[in-house]
Amino acid sequence: MSATSTAGRLQGVVWALDEAPAFAPGDPVRILTRTPIGHYRVPTYLRGKSGTVEAVIEPAGLDNEQEGFGRNAGSKRHYYRIAIPLTEIWPDYVGSPRDGLRIEVFETWLERV
Amino acid sequence: MNDSAHLVKKLPNDIGGVEAGPIVMAEHTLLPWEKRCHALADLLDFKKIINTEEKRRGVEALGATVIGSLSYYERWIVAFGNILFQKGILTPEELARKMDEVEARHAGAGEV
Amino acid sequence: MSAHEHNHEHGHDHPHAEITAEAAGYYEIMETAVRELLAEKGLIGPAEIRRQIEVLDSRTPALGAKVVARAWVDPGFRARLIADGRAGCEELGISFYDDTQLIVLENTQEVHNLIVCTLCSCYPRPVLGLPPDWYKEKPYRARAVIEPRAVLAEFGTTIPDDVEIRVSDSTAMVRYLVLPRRPEGTEGWSEESLAELVTRDAMIGVVPATLPESVQ
Repeated sequence: MSATSTAGRLQGVVWALDEAPAFAPGDPVRILTRTPIGHYRVPTYLRGKSGTVEAVIEPAGLDNEQEGFGRNAGSKRHYYRIAIPLTEIWPDYVGSPRDGLRIEVFETWLERV
Repeated sequence: MNDSAHLVKKLPNDIGGVEAGPIVMAEHTLLPWEKRCHALADLLDFKKIINTEEKRRGVEALGATVIGSLSYYERWIVAFGNILFQKGILTPEELARKMDEVEARHAGAGEV
Repeated sequence: MSAHEHNHEHGHDHPHAEITAEAAGYYEIMETAVRELLAEKGLIGPAEIRRQIEVLDSRTPALGAKVVARAWVDPGFRARLIADGRAGCEELGISFYDDTQLIVLENTQEVHNLIVCTLCSCYPRPVLGLPPDWYKEKPYRARAVIEPRAVLAEFGTTIPDDVEIRVSDSTAMVRYLVLPRRPEGTEGWSEESLAELVTRDAMIGVVPATLPESVQ
């Protein structure tokens, strides 16, 4: 997809698939519930939880689930700092309702809400 | 769902939110071999012989029983051994022979 | 309860078992053997190991404390550090040998930050050195994300309910450093004196910066 912001950009330049981040700060997102075996870097306590993109982290990083098996030049993935309220993660959370979690998540693990 | 599925769906290191006791504030200064092991880990990553993510995966693959029984750097060095075998960089026999040699050397020097 | 949790529970009878190695034994011999075999194959040199140990020894919380003190006295630096933590530290000559990025989390009257790595032991090593044992062990990693206020209380830290707690869980290439609040009553202090108020635990976010009364 092409970048969503067009201010000051030249017309007619087509970006490659996945070249630009799919999400922008403020976007509501959900962390997928998939359960890979072998190796993963999205803790299970966050699977299926909803949050908000706080920032796009630059530059894109190597997919660490591939890296874990020795693919030192694996796919580059966009990743994001995601904000999730602790009350969303733990329904019985004790503390302020504004208390929150921040975590970096690769785009492959996110879906748009 | 098979009852055993949770054993493979949740890795032994994935402990955010699970029941746990009070924090034990005790700290220790790394033993010389532990610090060497850390330096070795860094070098293996710099040279991409074993990258940091492979080390993490290798520790996870030791399984819950081993993870629960070994110390932090003990887990690392065993994981390094396994990964180096998998990559064909070392063989189990080579490592066993070298460990015998190191042990004999230490015994001979009257130090361990 | 899974077998894994049972094992960890068992481990609590031996609080040091998870971290501290037995004296000079099997695993130390294994470490020496692996290192020597890799050297024989020309993959890693002894001088490289020695150099990396020097690198590790040169990274201590005193570095982080200097970064924090600079941020307290120099608003321009503070802004650059918050915009790009790694670049800010690099300005002071702190290299990121592990090729991680750094996000500096500023504590304010409204927000208190705390860092953890639930999956392993990610830590801002280039600027703080190696993490304390408790940071790598199960209780802190398991509980910081579910009951941060109870965890903070175990460190003697009480955060008022109207202050938002933000727990950052490290998982990838990003590391975090907490920029504690500058204590009141330190106006006019030198950067050096300010740095003495900044402990490792304050930069993890489990305690505030040391109060000036307690160092005078």
